[in-house]
Amino acid sequence: MTLKCEEAQELIADLIDDELSPPERAAVEEHFEGCSGCRFVYHSQLALKSAVHETGAGIKAPAALRERILHDPRVFRPKPGAFESPRTSKYLRPALAAGLLVLLTLPTLYLMRRPEAKPLSMRALEIHEKIIDGELSFVRGGSAEEIKETLSRSAAGAFAPMTYDLTALKLKAVGGAVRDFDGRKVLVTVYQGNGLTVTCYTFLGTESDAPSSAERVYDSVKKINFYIYSQGRIHAVLHREGKLICILASSLPAPALLDIARSGA
Amino acid sequence: MWRKTVTGAETQREKFACEAMTHLDDLYRIAVHLAKEPDQANDLVQETYARALGSYEQFAAGTHMKAWLAKILHNLFFDRYREAKRWVSTEEAKTVKDEPSDNWQRIPSKDAGPEGDILRRELSCKISNAIKKLPEEFRTAILLVDMEDFSYAEAAEILCCPLGTVRSRLSRGRELLHRYLKDYVEAKEKVLK
Repeated sequence: MTLKCEEAQELIADLIDDELSPPERAAVEEHFEGCSGCRFVYHSQLALKSAVHETGAGIKAPAALRERILHDPRVFRPKPGAFESPRTSKYLRPALAAGLLVLLTLPTLYLMRRPEAKPLSMRALEIHEKIIDGELSFVRGGSAEEIKETLSRSAAGAFAPMTYDLTALKLKAVGGAVRDFDGRKVLVTVYQGNGLTVTCYTFLGTESDAPSSAERVYDSVKKINFYIYSQGRIHAVLHREGKLICILASSLPAPALLDIARSGA
Repeated sequence: MWRKTVTGAETQREKFACEAMTHLDDLYRIAVHLAKEPDQANDLVQETYARALGSYEQFAAGTHMKAWLAKILHNLFFDRYREAKRWVSTEEAKTVKDEPSDNWQRIPSKDAGPEGDILRRELSCKISNAIKKLPEEFRTAILLVDMEDFSYAEAAEILCCPLGTVRSRLSRGRELLHRYLKDYVEAKEKVLK
C-alpha cells in the first residue's frame, strides 16, 4: 500500500499513539522512508507527546494528600479492632510507633551510611568532566543575565551565582544548573567557547570546603586565599567571598584558571 | 473482645481501596491540570476516592481500574466546576496567541537521570502551565492520551464521547500546545531524531 502525503499525515497521530494496525503502521513507515516532510511532522508530534509525558512523570501526589485519603473514613474505614482504652491509646501507640521506628531506622542508617562520600570540591571536578564529555545535560539560557536571574531564583533569592567576564578568552555563559549536594544548593554556570569549557560553582560554605591537599595562594592585594587543586586533566580554583564559595573548574592550566578567579574576585 | 471479625466484604473493600491507592499519582496528575488551584485538585482527588469506594461494587473486576477512577474524577470535575470551566475556556481562547515562546533549550544528553535534572523542574513547569492554558476539552484529551497513556477507546469512555471526538480534540490540542512550546519542542525533536 503506497500512501500519499495527505494520507500519511492523517495517520501520524494514530502512529505515535499506537493506534494503527500492523499493515497501516508498515505503510506509514514505508512512506517516511522516502518523505522527509512527513518524517518531520512525525518527529515534531512525537517530541511534543514525549515532552508532555515526561512532565507528567515528574508529578507526584503530595504526601499530605495521601495521608488525607488514608485517614478518610469514607475510603478506609477504621478497623473495629483498633479500639483501645482511651487512657492508654493516646500515649502508648505513638510511643510504640516511635520505638519501632528507632529500631528500624538505626540498622538502616548503619547500612546506608556512605563511607566514601566525596567532598563537594572534588565532585565539582567530576561534574565538570561529565559536562565536557556531554554526559550531563544542563539548561541553555539566553543571556548571562538571564542565566544569573534564573539561578538566583532557583536559590529562592538566598544568593546569586558568581559571574565572570571571560570575553577575552572568547568564552561566554551558555547555560546553568542547580545541584543539590547533601542538602546544599549549588548554582552552576557553564561558560563555553573556542572549544573550551569553564564551570563555575557557587554555594554557601567556608574555606574548609577546599580539599586538604589543595595548594593555597594568598592574594595580598585582595586579601583572599585561593586554593588550587586538580584531578586528572581537570583543574580547579576555590575561593571564598563572604559566605559564598566559588569553584572554577576547567581543563585550562591551573595558573590561567587562578588568573580568572583573581580577576573576578 | 474488642476485636471484631472482619467480614469478607470488608476485606474486599479494603483490598479495592489499597489497589485504588496505587493510582493516586495518576489521578493527581489529571486533577492538578484540570483544577485551577492546588486545593481544588486535592479535593477533587479525595472526593474521587470517596465516590469510588462508595460504589466500588460497581467496578467490574478485571477491568481497567485507572480508567474507572479517571472517569469518576472527570465527572466530578465536570459537575463541580462546570460554571468556572465555562468562564475559564472563554478567557483562555483570547490569550492563546499572546503566549510568549520558551527560550530555554534542552541539550541532548546521554544521561537523563538525576544528574541531568538541572532546572528540569522549571521546564516541566512551563509545559504544565501550557497544558493548563488549553481549553478544557482539548486539555483533557491531551492529559488522558499523552500524559496517562490511555487508548483512544478508553479516553472516549472516560469522556463519554465518540472516539472520533477524542481524535479531533487531541489534534487541536496538540496544535495549540505546539504553538505554546515551539522552541522547546524543536529542541526535543533534535534529540529524538
